[in-house]
Amino acid sequence: MASVAQNAREVSPELCQPRRLQASLLLDFARDEIAGCTVLAASRQEPPLKVVRAFNVQDGAALAHLHNVSGGLLGGDQLALKVNVGARAGVQLTTTGATRIYRPRHEAPPATQSNEFTLYEDALLEYVPDAIIPYGGARFSQTTTIYLAQDAGIFWWEILAPGREAGGESFAYDSVEMKTDVVALGRPIASERVRLEPHRQSTQSFGRLGPYRTWATFCIARVGPSAAEWLALEYELREQAMPLTKHGETLWAVSALPAHGVMVRCVAVHGRHVLPGLQNLWQTAKQRLYGRDAVPPRKVN
Amino acid sequence: MERDSANEAPAQADALADLRLLHLADSALPIGALAHSFGLESLTACEMLTARDLPDFLPTYLEEAGTMEAVFCREAFRLPAATSQNDFAARWLALNIQSSARKPARESRAGSASLGANFLRVVLGLAEVPLAREALNASRRSASLVHYSTAFGLAGNLLGFAEERVALVYLHQSVANLVSSCQRLLPLGQSDAARILWNLKPAILAAANRSAVTALQDASCFMPLLDWGAMEHPALSTRLFIS
Repeated sequence: MASVAQNAREVSPELCQPRRLQASLLLDFARDEIAGCTVLAASRQEPPLKVVRAFNVQDGAALAHLHNVSGGLLGGDQLALKVNVGARAGVQLTTTGATRIYRPRHEAPPATQSNEFTLYEDALLEYVPDAIIPYGGARFSQTTTIYLAQDAGIFWWEILAPGREAGGESFAYDSVEMKTDVVALGRPIASERVRLEPHRQSTQSFGRLGPYRTWATFCIARVGPSAAEWLALEYELREQAMPLTKHGETLWAVSALPAHGVMVRCVAVHGRHVLPGLQNLWQTAKQRLYGRDAVPPRKVN
Repeated sequence: MERDSANEAPAQADALADLRLLHLADSALPIGALAHSFGLESLTACEMLTARDLPDFLPTYLEEAGTMEAVFCREAFRLPAATSQNDFAARWLALNIQSSARKPARESRAGSASLGANFLRVVLGLAEVPLAREALNASRRSASLVHYSTAFGLAGNLLGFAEERVALVYLHQSVANLVSSCQRLLPLGQSDAARILWNLKPAILAAANRSAVTALQDASCFMPLLDWGAMEHPALSTRLFIS
């Protein structure tokens, strides 16, 4: 006798396809000139993406925690995040924890996340999330585009973990693809195209990660400062990063972008060494570019 | 026996094109290719990269950075056919700006730009190619960089070479220059260097094939250790190479 599930498949095969979740989160931040701080002026939220509220931080910026109430991305999820930061507004975005990319069903398409950040004149975005952790078998594709207007700036990092290391998983995922473009005044200043398929290409190859397992990229940009100022910041951050570099454990590198920014890169054997270093460099760069301290986001965890 | 003059002319033209392409890819072409290690000097200075690692490192280089650069090379090759006279300069500049944005290391970016501009100047001294002059002038006017891969691709088209040959030869001379850098940085003898380069031919072919079917926006490159070497090269106290 055919099972109910078999009958359902015969009647309507599409019913048995894994459901693709499409959700978006739109956040509009604006500067409240009277109150002297940034507010979350409008939002449109579709589960599982959620922001509970925006908190004021000491420099007048708004801090928002990006929640994924399903705990992570499932196979086939198509999530979109669109953030507008109005003129002179300051925003800090973080996650409530690591972004977990779960093992999908065999037939499920990759989980996708598309991020678009638009910063108007003199706006500042500090995007400081926790690591992305792709579970065994995970397939993930992320596209990020950041548009910067005159005097707009970003501190933007991503940390890619090798997997659930505590569970013995390291580079057990199928694929991770990350496409990132930072566009200043209509001109790309940083474009990253990362594609990792550990089953097909050895991540331990010397040309790739070698003995290191966690990779981080940190873009510091502001439209305005001259090339000489960026070169000076490159040298200052390099001096600061040098003591953090320990061969065989963690490597840090800093270099000026073609215009409007510097790029920091890190590879580490242990992910725990990455975040303190990023925060360290963030602190220095924010002082240099904005004359005030970087305030790491408050979190429950 | 009578010679087949109808077939001979195209064969002669192909042979002439091959000779010219070999000439442009020769390391003796005065563009400064031997002055750049593109990060290898830092990696060897701290003994992260040894001669023993090269058979692993160089195929990975071709798979990642090599393929990405070959995609840019092909895109530049196709540019004259894909653009009108009015928008050629704008598209050429945009392509090179995209190439700059893909290079996080300042010195390697500048190195690629130095080779690219020098290459176009040398080509202009050898042949009459007005569009190459227009490209160089447009870049100069807007203070934009001319990258080596795009310069090689564009010149390859304008000089009448086949796209596949151009991509292959570009990859071959790129990796040959890296091997040459390694000979000056590492205990790597002539015979071993020649063997390494000989064994890389299938990887060169694979990279060229991959670049033919990869869109510019999808061309990826993940070489964090080479990035580290290139980005930290300015910190070396004693340097043989500019990058």
